[in-house]
Amino acid sequence: MKKRFVFRFSPNTVKKPLMSYLVREFNIDVNIWNADISYGREGKLVVELEAEEKAIEDGLAYARSIGVNCSPLIKELQFNQERCINCGSCTSVCFYGALQINQESWELEYDPEQCVVCGLCIKACPLQLFSISREEE
Amino acid sequence: MKTIDQINEKIRNGNAVVFTAEEVSRMAETMTSAEIAEEVDVVTTGTFGPMCSSGAFINFGHYNPPIRMEEVSLNDVPIFAGLAAVDSYIGASSESTFDETYGGAHIIEDLIAGKDVKLKARAKGTDCYPTKEVQTVINKDTVNEFYLFNPRNAYQNYSVAVNSQKHSIYTYMGSLMPHMENATYSTSGELSPLLNDPELRTIGIGTRIFLGGTQGFVSWYGTQFNTQKPKNEQGIPTSNAATLAVIGNAKEMSTEYIRAAYFEKYGVSIFIGIGIPIPVLDEDIARAVSIRNCQIETSVVDYGLEDKPVLGMVNYEDLRSGTIKVQGKEIKTGAMSSLEKARKIAEELKTWIKNGEFLLSHPVEMMPKNSSVKGLEQRS
Repeated sequence: MKKRFVFRFSPNTVKKPLMSYLVREFNIDVNIWNADISYGREGKLVVELEAEEKAIEDGLAYARSIGVNCSPLIKELQFNQERCINCGSCTSVCFYGALQINQESWELEYDPEQCVVCGLCIKACPLQLFSISREEE
Repeated sequence: MKTIDQINEKIRNGNAVVFTAEEVSRMAETMTSAEIAEEVDVVTTGTFGPMCSSGAFINFGHYNPPIRMEEVSLNDVPIFAGLAAVDSYIGASSESTFDETYGGAHIIEDLIAGKDVKLKARAKGTDCYPTKEVQTVINKDTVNEFYLFNPRNAYQNYSVAVNSQKHSIYTYMGSLMPHMENATYSTSGELSPLLNDPELRTIGIGTRIFLGGTQGFVSWYGTQFNTQKPKNEQGIPTSNAATLAVIGNAKEMSTEYIRAAYFEKYGVSIFIGIGIPIPVLDEDIARAVSIRNCQIETSVVDYGLEDKPVLGMVNYEDLRSGTIKVQGKEIKTGAMSSLEKARKIAEELKTWIKNGEFLLSHPVEMMPKNSSVKGLEQRS
């Protein structure tokens, strides 16, 4: 299976080479979509993991055991779709196809599975309907 | 040949034939202009885009003892008070003293939604208006008049924006990525009001329109009204040309068709829903309302450079497809105005006319035939 996750590192765990460990010990293919170390040296990684379901579960369990927070990507970008006016401004900066205008109905379609949390839509939306989740699970 | 009076008679009798501009453009694929002129009475158009040159007049009612308001804010957004004692103008792009993402547009939307808004007013105090300070809460039911009066809306065509530079720029045309990675555009193409009557033969001062969910009027030609822009073979100006000033009762409007906006690192603006009915009086008008997206061209402008050079021409069919090709480069497109809302507006206006609730009007005066736009010179 292939699935996207967000890993959050505290200042204590940010130095641990977690990704290489997941590759080596759990045989997981890792594709890094977005990486960021913020003020206070907290880190955030957006990754796509590809492996047997069991291997991914074990890998996530290991990450959690060393203090790294993991959550499915789907919850990461918050979108208040109810207030959306379907202008399409966000689609002009979404290069991964997560936000697309339906060519028939001209309504905005959001597919969280395609999102890499680049954050460009947050600035592009004139109604300010996007935000990054601050939840840690 | 038909007259507006004949069409109004049919509207009153409930048998006027009304289509949206998109429907007529599809019909024109198999019908001639003469057939369309014969069959169709009214074509409805629609647009829902950000239009900064908008605002609302408001009369708060007199306080006791009265105040001649000289400095006024609503929810800490400064509004214009250089009018009589309790008349003010809420400029859509005026920004809150404390939050640049909240402004006049949000006040207008909040008032339309029926919300309470905090009013602060100050004055020097006069013999006839002794009060110097008022702080209270108002909403659309506590005030006297509250009407939209927008100096420039409904642009006839608008240029496409790209950015050739190395860094992202943030504009009223949205986020423009470096190296021309994206392009933004802002009209509803074949559904857009002034693109369906390019010579403004039927739209003039006094024309009754759909404005913000209720009936409004064209009050004047819009600011920066320009009849000098180059036109394509179809007679369509290939960049921003004519504009309209519009007026309507904001108390009757709906937040479905009036929405506040904030553009990153630019400021506050407002989405305005406008729909204009076009009477199909003759074959020429039938031809005009049959215009298709592939026949409406617009210029691609580089917002990354100060003099904004034109890099090429594209049409609305290309823009809607999701990619355009400019100087050999494929560029991803996105709209700033909502086609989905524009369609709703054209449909709603169609329903009003079919139900006999909306009659067409004779313009009191036509728009200027010769109008160009001046720049601002440094003089002393």
